[in-house]
Amino acid sequence: MSAPALTSPAPDAVVPGRPTVGQRLTAFMPVIALVVLLAALTIADPGFLTLSSLTAAVRTSAPLVVLAAGATLVVLCGGIDLSIAALCSLATVFFALWLPDLGGITTVAIIAATGAIGALQGVAHVLFRIPSFIVTLGGMSIFTAVALVISDAGPVRVVDRDATNWLTLYVGGVVPMAFVVALVLVAAVSLVLRLTPLDSWIRATGYSESAARLAGAPVDRVKIAAFTVSGACAGLAAVMLVSRNFSGSPTMADNLLLPAVAAIVVGGTAITGGHGSLWRSLAGALVVTLLRVGLPIVGVPSAYEQILYGAIIVAAVALTLDRSKVLIIK
Amino acid sequence: MTTNLQTQPDPRVPAPAPALEVRGLVKHYPGVKALDGVDLVVRQHEVLGLAGENGAGKSTLLKALVGLVRPDGGEIWVRGEKVRLRSVVDAADHGIGMVFQEQSLVPNLTAAENIVLGSEGPGVRRGIYRWNTMRRLAQEQLDKIGSHIDPLARTDTLSFADRQMVEIAKVLRIEERTSHPPVIILDEPTSVLESKEIETLFTQVRRLREFASVVFVSHRLDEVLDVCDRVAVLRGGRSVGEVPSADAAPAELHRMMIGSTGSDDHYHGAVAERPDEARRPRLVVRGLSGKSFRDVDLDVHAGEIVGIVGVHGSGREDVCRALFGAEPTTAGEVVLDGEKLDLSGTRAACAAGVGYVPAERKTEGMVGPMSVADNMTLTKQQSRCTGPLVRPRKQATLVDRWIERLSIRTPHRGTAIQRLSGGNQQKVVLARWLVAGDVRLLLLDHPTRGLDIGARSEVYRLMRELAGSGVATVLLADSLEEAIGMSDRIIVMSDGRATTEVAAPPGGKPTPLDLVKEMV
Repeated sequence: MSAPALTSPAPDAVVPGRPTVGQRLTAFMPVIALVVLLAALTIADPGFLTLSSLTAAVRTSAPLVVLAAGATLVVLCGGIDLSIAALCSLATVFFALWLPDLGGITTVAIIAATGAIGALQGVAHVLFRIPSFIVTLGGMSIFTAVALVISDAGPVRVVDRDATNWLTLYVGGVVPMAFVVALVLVAAVSLVLRLTPLDSWIRATGYSESAARLAGAPVDRVKIAAFTVSGACAGLAAVMLVSRNFSGSPTMADNLLLPAVAAIVVGGTAITGGHGSLWRSLAGALVVTLLRVGLPIVGVPSAYEQILYGAIIVAAVALTLDRSKVLIIK
Repeated sequence: MTTNLQTQPDPRVPAPAPALEVRGLVKHYPGVKALDGVDLVVRQHEVLGLAGENGAGKSTLLKALVGLVRPDGGEIWVRGEKVRLRSVVDAADHGIGMVFQEQSLVPNLTAAENIVLGSEGPGVRRGIYRWNTMRRLAQEQLDKIGSHIDPLARTDTLSFADRQMVEIAKVLRIEERTSHPPVIILDEPTSVLESKEIETLFTQVRRLREFASVVFVSHRLDEVLDVCDRVAVLRGGRSVGEVPSADAAPAELHRMMIGSTGSDDHYHGAVAERPDEARRPRLVVRGLSGKSFRDVDLDVHAGEIVGIVGVHGSGREDVCRALFGAEPTTAGEVVLDGEKLDLSGTRAACAAGVGYVPAERKTEGMVGPMSVADNMTLTKQQSRCTGPLVRPRKQATLVDRWIERLSIRTPHRGTAIQRLSGGNQQKVVLARWLVAGDVRLLLLDHPTRGLDIGARSEVYRLMRELAGSGVATVLLADSLEEAIGMSDRIIVMSDGRATTEVAAPPGGKPTPLDLVKEMV
């Protein structure tokens, strides 16, 4: 009964569907941040806005975009996947180890394997009703340890570079292939969500799981699917990292967890679930990447990076969280 | 009684300054004026009823009175002094306290802890709980309202009525912040209570009048008239009048609320002409058992509405959820149209043509920020899809048809459902089960909870219509009167068992008293 009736809208009523200025600003926040950052960096170093430095920035962002895109699905469902970076590191090791035996299909095998591991985490979360935060925190620790054990705690060199060479190509001589792959991934997943009932199910699950369940939405399967895609994305990101570093290493992607979470929240996806998109995370990942490459330009030592990520995550959530909907903060 | 009884106990003598006065209060929300210049006077030592349909502005007004909503215009005066209320604490300092619609006690604390929670005072010294002092403080509060609840009982072991008493005792602690008699606001205090508990509550409300002013809000007009001295009516965010309850009839109040004459009991005995076809039961439940119910047998025929009544804790809600696969069962068999019903999950139930409308509309019934259209097609995705693909145009046509058919008042199908009024939200939730046209059994858990009379009668009409089309309905009604008025048969549940079955055909309805006898 607290909802005011809309039966006879007052003459000065806001036309429904037209967002207020504040809402519009929040909606475009990542894009605005991106433009502001680009402008700021160009002012700080007029040499920054060149094709080669932009190409380099976009190329480094590809694994981050992929990781963030996958984890966004889990966040949209109201959970969180903290294992993506550790799983990605593990996948780089597997890739380096499997490549001599599997050859060309290693990429597919890695994505399938990490997808299965993601699904396993999803099943554990759904079946045993363990918070996703705990399941993936445990997963993170396990994956890191396994990676260390099977790699003898050191990098595994990749000699055969043919399998990953295609990712280092440039489309049209300018756009890095890895980034194109990331774009295609974001576009494809977004399209599937848009064209199928999945979008409704995910949003309903993320906003109110009990309402979704009582409406007969396949909540459990949607969640497991989200974890599966998140895992598979970690695998794809691993292939991208290997193509760049020519080796697998048990800690290669570990410093990507915080940036990935930052990308999601900077994009404006609600950490409480139900609201957001993969496109937002793409923009968020670009913002984070620009900050990362921009810090040295403005003379901040890269050691401060982690401080920045921490601050960004808290600030972005503080800005985007609709506190009126969250009664209890845990 | 330990409180200031020095003030006049007779409510009919007007006090010099009103306990609380609201002048021209205005509050805008995007797209709607929730309050459009409300005037209200609460005299000292009176029980003032506040009536109005959904969206009349009652909730907003109450929230403004306890500092939860900041009005855009207008004034609030407390005992002749203009005040600005910025928070609940502010309001408490001025002696205004509210018992919220949703109960706000912490279930795993004792009644005593709950009563002093947030205002421990001498109950805590140097950061240490002093149990004896706390117990004494709580006991004093409970004595004020003459309650015999054990202050050391855990709150979740108390009945709903007792919890309400604890809430009132808690709210009365604001007396210590002010030297004046407080103003206590009760927002829908009866909505979770069964009829016997309501009587106890009313006794307490009348007692409260001796040392406080009370604002009483309820959807049930008979209640308002029963317990209040005066009733103020809101409509469309404005005050439309006041009546002394002694000479007002529910019908008159209702007319003021909706602005025209209407009858609140047209559904009583409203006879739906039902084809008297082969009376083969559509739903057959045998020996259904679960955590809170045992050996429940239940038959529901096509086109029949079967009400289940019972006091709180009778297990009727759980039976309802179990039939929808949302509550685990340990034994028993459920057959729908000759086929065994899979109770393992909600999805199976939906696929079998079972629909469920949960009691908690806001948290379980709907997805607030999602559009009317997406909420309506959430369950029957196939109704808006071709193969695996969503067809926006197909969805639009379908949703618009149902918006028109159920006269759902919404600016647009794309409007977020949370912006609609309660009755229209509920119609969308009901439509969810109808869009595919394959629902065979509807389980309605308090489908009219929190709805005003107008919205209620529309839901009733819809239920009748569905029954007329052959849908079997299980109804957990909001009140005994509703159960009697709507049901063809009534099952009484007590302590997890279906104890009695009472026929309630049109023209041969049992009285509420008949049912109460069986319930306890």
